[in-house]
Amino acid sequence: MTQKTQQRNYRPLRSTDTLKKTMKRYYILTGYHRYWGKPMGRRIAWVTSGAPVEILRAFKIHPAYPEQYAAIYSTNKATAQLCQVAEAAGYSQDLCSYARSNIGGVLRPDLAPLGGMPKPDLLVACNNICGTVLKWYEVLARHFKVPLLVLDTPYLTGEMRSQARNYVLEQLKAMVAELEKITGRTLDESELEKQMEFSRETTGLWKEARQACQSRPSPLNAPDLFIHMAPIVVMRGTKAGRDYYRLFRDEVREREALAQGAVENERIRLVWDNIAIWPKVFSFNKMFTERGACFVTDTYSGGWAMEQAPGTPLESLAATYTEVFLNRSPEFRTKQLVQLIRDYQADGFVMHSNRSCKPYSLVQEVIRRRVMMETGVPGLMIEADMADPRAYAEEPIRNRVQAFLETFD
Amino acid sequence: MMEWSVPEEKRDSLSLLLEESALKGSKRKTRYPNHRFLGILCSYFPEELIMAFGLEPLRLLPDSAQRTPAELPPFSCSLARGILDMELQGRWEDLLGVGFVHTCDTMQCLSGIWEFAGKQNIINMVPPVMLKAAGANQYYQEEAKRAWEQLQRLTGHEPTEESLREAIRLCRRIREKVNEVEELRGKLPSPLTAALLRAGQLMPRAIYAEVLDEVLPELYARAEESGSRARLMVTGAVLENDHLYAMIEELGGRVVVDDTCTGYRHYSGPPMEESSDPWYDLVKRYEDMPPCPCKNQSLNARLEYLGNLASRRQVEGAVLVIRKYCEPHAWDAVPLAETLQNRGVRTLVLELEGADVGGQERTRLQAFLESILENRSSDSEGRAQA
Repeated sequence: MTQKTQQRNYRPLRSTDTLKKTMKRYYILTGYHRYWGKPMGRRIAWVTSGAPVEILRAFKIHPAYPEQYAAIYSTNKATAQLCQVAEAAGYSQDLCSYARSNIGGVLRPDLAPLGGMPKPDLLVACNNICGTVLKWYEVLARHFKVPLLVLDTPYLTGEMRSQARNYVLEQLKAMVAELEKITGRTLDESELEKQMEFSRETTGLWKEARQACQSRPSPLNAPDLFIHMAPIVVMRGTKAGRDYYRLFRDEVREREALAQGAVENERIRLVWDNIAIWPKVFSFNKMFTERGACFVTDTYSGGWAMEQAPGTPLESLAATYTEVFLNRSPEFRTKQLVQLIRDYQADGFVMHSNRSCKPYSLVQEVIRRRVMMETGVPGLMIEADMADPRAYAEEPIRNRVQAFLETFD
Repeated sequence: MMEWSVPEEKRDSLSLLLEESALKGSKRKTRYPNHRFLGILCSYFPEELIMAFGLEPLRLLPDSAQRTPAELPPFSCSLARGILDMELQGRWEDLLGVGFVHTCDTMQCLSGIWEFAGKQNIINMVPPVMLKAAGANQYYQEEAKRAWEQLQRLTGHEPTEESLREAIRLCRRIREKVNEVEELRGKLPSPLTAALLRAGQLMPRAIYAEVLDEVLPELYARAEESGSRARLMVTGAVLENDHLYAMIEELGGRVVVDDTCTGYRHYSGPPMEESSDPWYDLVKRYEDMPPCPCKNQSLNARLEYLGNLASRRQVEGAVLVIRKYCEPHAWDAVPLAETLQNRGVRTLVLELEGADVGGQERTRLQAFLESILENRSSDSEGRAQA
């Protein structure tokens, strides 16, 4: 173990090297799309993280994820500057920092890591994660003057309603027709089924690795989950993505069998709620690992462990993408968190009240109270931002975390 | 603040509307003991549904921008914080329930929080965001019927479709009357028009229609050209009082277009048809009304609508009001300012905590209005020299 990892009290994963290679290949493919995409007649779409990418892949469209790039911008310390570019163009500092940094990168690609994103041929947004994506992608559609396809997935106040399912299905059919026009291709249903099978398998592997963390000690900690979720976001529905998660799952299983914990001397088991604090993802976590606290699971990266709903491919996509947890009531999310605490035998939970993500954050306090009441474990709320470091107050957060962790002594 | 004079014989009707607007429904129990109210938070909840059950829709407005309930983080808008805090204090306890529709993320979250922490019955309705998407009309109709069923359970009544038609007719009549007021908008003091329109979202609708009928002749009689006042558009979300309108008027402006949730946007849209299917008629109206930033009819529908309206009403300046932490309006402020500026309309983005305006806003508004008036005189000088 190196000096650095000893200080972090943290065990690195071997598969990280493969992850880096896999993601590097994806970024190179994306960054150089103009050189290979056009000759091969393959368009590039900017898509939201919750969009039904399997359809796009079936049309040979290469998806690029502004949210993923925004996380990269943040870990590369570029977000504040990019946000300022967007703010100077009139976008309020109160708007989502992923969106602001993406717009900043569009306006000033020279300031963006990886040289920013390649120009899209079309935009595909699904509002199952928030209403912000609609407004954000409208801005992009006006800027790039390319088609914007929106899948409107009605918020589920309770269980899925038949009218919601039918509405989303109608839109998916219309989206297919639109993509046929845009690409000049006809939907190959067997190709769509193939993409969905890759997705199903990849999701299953991700889920399996996550479930291994129910063991004591947990083979993974939150930063592992945050870093290793990248392929399931951007390469869902691909063979490369599926192959990566086979490797990852095997290593996690191996750790589990050897009782190797991600955190040395795991003492406190916690659940994380909300998007990672990307600009501080390691330093924030160090406050926990140095006291033997491990985030054994989380709600955020768990969002990609969803099982595909039954039905024809389009019916399945309609239900699967509408039922994502961020599109559901506090009641549903409370049950989900309570279940995670029970399944993973967690001693407590930490909620990141994320200024950039209202659907995730606004309901957290009522959920926190209910979960504490139902499980009897303590829950800490800290306020920060997923990407903008200007919203991170180091000392107040350190004090709160320390006080919280002392309650377990 | 109200400087216009009202003849004694007409004072009662006009005063009633102005009082209702200022009271924001707070005296509903004593003023309308025989009426039962149901709270709403957004113009996309079809009032007709509530009225068909013999209930009165009440737009919930906060009494202060300073309320901070622990259930919401500080980065939520003062509208959500204010009305939730009032709920927790039992200020809406006489309502039969509260109707939520999915508009912005904040309102959607608020419905869940209300369900967890509040005391009221909730009626949830999730209209389509993409109003012209495939299947949207059918889906909206089914959501309206779901709200109807929830109202049935809440009230224990089963009104006939004829009750719905009657409610549709009454709303249409109100919108026609409001359109008459709207035609006079440029000739009436800005806070007066704003107050008259807000009153129609806070009091029993049949009474509002009747009183507005009585007031209209007086409004016609008192209407006069605005003279040299700068012609302004105000756009934004909810404005729970007239402070901004009064300040604009005081500084020499006149609001000739009011695209706010509590203003004309609530009533606007093509006249409602009456076909054999009241559900279709109902939804068509809400689909076709000028969209708020949370909805999409097409990429630039809202920008084009407001741009055309500004040209038609010869707007010289637009005040784009953003309630702090209101994302949809903050997003639209950028392309909207660009659209209006391209049409020669000057724009001012005003970020407010609530609806109150203070010294800082006065300074900015004053400078804005002066720039419009200066531009006007330099234009006329230019024409004279030419």
